[in-house]
This record gives sequence, C-alpha cells and structure tokens, in this order.
Amino acid sequence: MTFSLLHATDFADRLLYKIIPPLKAGMIVLADRYAYTAFARDATRGVDRQWVRELYSFAVRPDLALYFRVPIDVSVDRLLARRVKLKFYESGMDLGWSSNPVESFRLFQGKVLDEYDQLVREFGLEVVDAGGSITDQQRLVRTLIAQHVAMTRVDLSDEQPV
Amino acid sequence: MSNLSDAPMEGANGNGQSGHYYGRGIPYLPIDAYPGKLIAIEGTDGVGRSTQIQLLREWLEVRGYGVVETGWTRSTLMQPTIELAKASNTLNKLTFVLLYATDFADRLEKEIIPALKAGFVVLSDRYIFTALARAGVRGVDRQWLRNLYGFAIAPHMVFYLNIDVKSLIGRVLESRGMDFWESGMDLKHGDDIYDSFRTYQNKLLKEYASMADEFHFRVVDARRSVDRIQDELRRQVSAFLEPADKVSEPALTR
Repeated sequence: MTFSLLHATDFADRLLYKIIPPLKAGMIVLADRYAYTAFARDATRGVDRQWVRELYSFAVRPDLALYFRVPIDVSVDRLLARRVKLKFYESGMDLGWSSNPVESFRLFQGKVLDEYDQLVREFGLEVVDAGGSITDQQRLVRTLIAQHVAMTRVDLSDEQPV
Repeated sequence: MSNLSDAPMEGANGNGQSGHYYGRGIPYLPIDAYPGKLIAIEGTDGVGRSTQIQLLREWLEVRGYGVVETGWTRSTLMQPTIELAKASNTLNKLTFVLLYATDFADRLEKEIIPALKAGFVVLSDRYIFTALARAGVRGVDRQWLRNLYGFAIAPHMVFYLNIDVKSLIGRVLESRGMDFWESGMDLKHGDDIYDSFRTYQNKLLKEYASMADEFHFRVVDARRSVDRIQDELRRQVSAFLEPADKVSEPALTR
C-alpha cells in the first residue's frame, strides 16, 4: 500500500507541476510511464485493482497511450546485458517470491506483463512491438502520433518536419 | 454528501462494520476475526486528545489490557518526508492528502493490524476523519477521499471530542499558541493568524460534524474538565470491552 501511495503522491506532484501547466499552454507532453504502470505494478503486488483506478481518477486521460510490449525473456536479456544488478523493487524482491533476483524479476515482471495485457483492452492502449528494431518502432510511433497531433503546429517552429 | 453504506463496495472484507475495512480494503491482508480492538479519539487541533489518550492508556493498562498507541504522521517511513514537504512550500492539496494517506497506510500495516492481530487495544490519536475533514475543507472531492481511505479499518469505537471555536481558541492560546497549519494559513484567508484560525477551525468543525452520523461518532462534549471527559470515555470503553462482566457481576457478588 505504501509503495502504491508514494508513487501516487509523486505522480500527483508531477501532474500538477509538470504535466498540467504545459497542457494548458497547448504543448505536447511526453510521459515516460503513466498511471498504467501503477495499475499493473500495484495489482501484481496484491493491491485492489478498482481501488488503484479510483486513486488515480485525478489523472488526466492521455490523448494517446503507447504500450511497448516485449516478451519477458527479451526484457531480462536486455537488462542483464546493460547492468550488473537488477533493482530490488523492479524485481519484486519485496514480495519474497524468490531469493534469486533474476528469477524474482521473471516471476514478478511476468505477472506485470499479464496485467498490461488487460490494460491494453481496458484503456485501449496502442501496442508497439518492442521486440523489433528501434527504427521500425520509431516509424510506427511517429505514424500513431501524427494521427493525434495537428501537424500545422509544426509551421510555428523553425524546425523542418522530419 | 455521499455515504459509504449507500454504496457498499466488495473487497477483502470491506463492509464498513467495526473491525472490517471500510471499502475495498487491502486484499493481501484479510483481517477477519482479529481479537484486538481499535479505538479512535478524534477531534480538532488542541481539543485535548493526547491528554485523554494518556489517561485512558494508563487506566487500561492497570486493568490488564495491552495498549498500543498510534498517531497521525508518526510513521517511521513518512514522518521525515512529511516534515520536509511541509517546509518546502511545494505541497498542494492533492500531494498533502496522499502523503498523509501513505503515512496512515504505513502505520496501518506495520502497527495497527499487527497489534489487532495480537489482541491489543489500539488507541489512535486521530484517525482518517482528520484527513477527510482537512481535505474536505480544502475542496478535495469527498467521494474520491472515501474511496482512497477504503483501505482503512472501521474502528470499534470512534470518540469525537466536540468543541466550539470560542472555547477552542481560549484553550489553544493558553497552551502552545496558534500554528501555521492548524490555522489553515495555507488557505490564504488573510495574513491575520487569529482570523484565519477562527475561519479555518470553524470550517473544520462543520466538516467533522457532518461526518458524525456517517461514521458513527460517539460525540463527547470536550468543553468540560479533563476528569469529566475521561470518566465518560472510561464508562463507554468499559461497557464495550467488558460487557460480559456487567451481566455476570450481580451473580458473582451475590
């Protein structure tokens, strides 16, 4: 519960200081993770699903939510290739499912991924296959975003459209 | 105002009855049939809660009860954070509410529930009603607040120390004086701490009063002397904790 509530507090702070003001100013806000992360992680930790949704009902509903889906094996391989140690909470070590960090990560994040699959249906998240190349992913992301953003706005800046 | 009993929520064992969760509860911590008792002493700032709790605790311990005390923002996880946040001037009503809720969740999981499980009498100096009142006064959605605190346990008894603003002002000035937060200075009613205190506490008291029926407050007149109030608390607590003694007493003595 405290894990869930501390993240909600952090989120509320960022929402009110970092997200809502630029939205009011007509800017585009790119959020690296959103309330859906909390829905997936907290439910996996045994917090009531409906309660978490009600908790985050103060959040702004995104115009577009992208979900980068990746199989658990790919996720583990990528993380292990980049750093020595998996983080305690990221691996769900607090749940005591396994004393082996990698095994715990597999168990915990595997369940988190199952939760995400439910969220895709419930909230209509746009799924991006994150197993593919970065270029392919970025092309798809740009196509998806272009459908939601009026491209005339680009004329306002000096930059050329990509 | 919405009433929890109007919208029953299914949860771990959330039915709002004493000793059960108010709402959806904490699914991984079912609390059915715990032997301990949870007694909350509520009331606004400076009304005399701590004095009453101290006296109640001694009395209960002499009578052989194990007593655990818990109080607002006293969690080891959150107390430093809350103090820091209060000092930083960046808190808004939402983060304020959520920090308090985190503190409460920590104490619930680490202090209150284990103590109830072990059969203690838990005396809570303030309970969720202080959070509901403070946030309600600051314009936070009341239904959202009730859903948020759906993980709280409904106490077996909630004593509400009721006082009027005039008596309260006298009492606070006699003791430690008015403080920034207790005067609701963050609400910018004005620069004058006395006026702000009166306006803010007036609103708080109304907010508490509006919850009396919804949460089954046992309203205690806090304008009386410490001893008179304590007598009333002891009488009610005794009747609740030892109803069997009352029934069997004549048989034992005669």
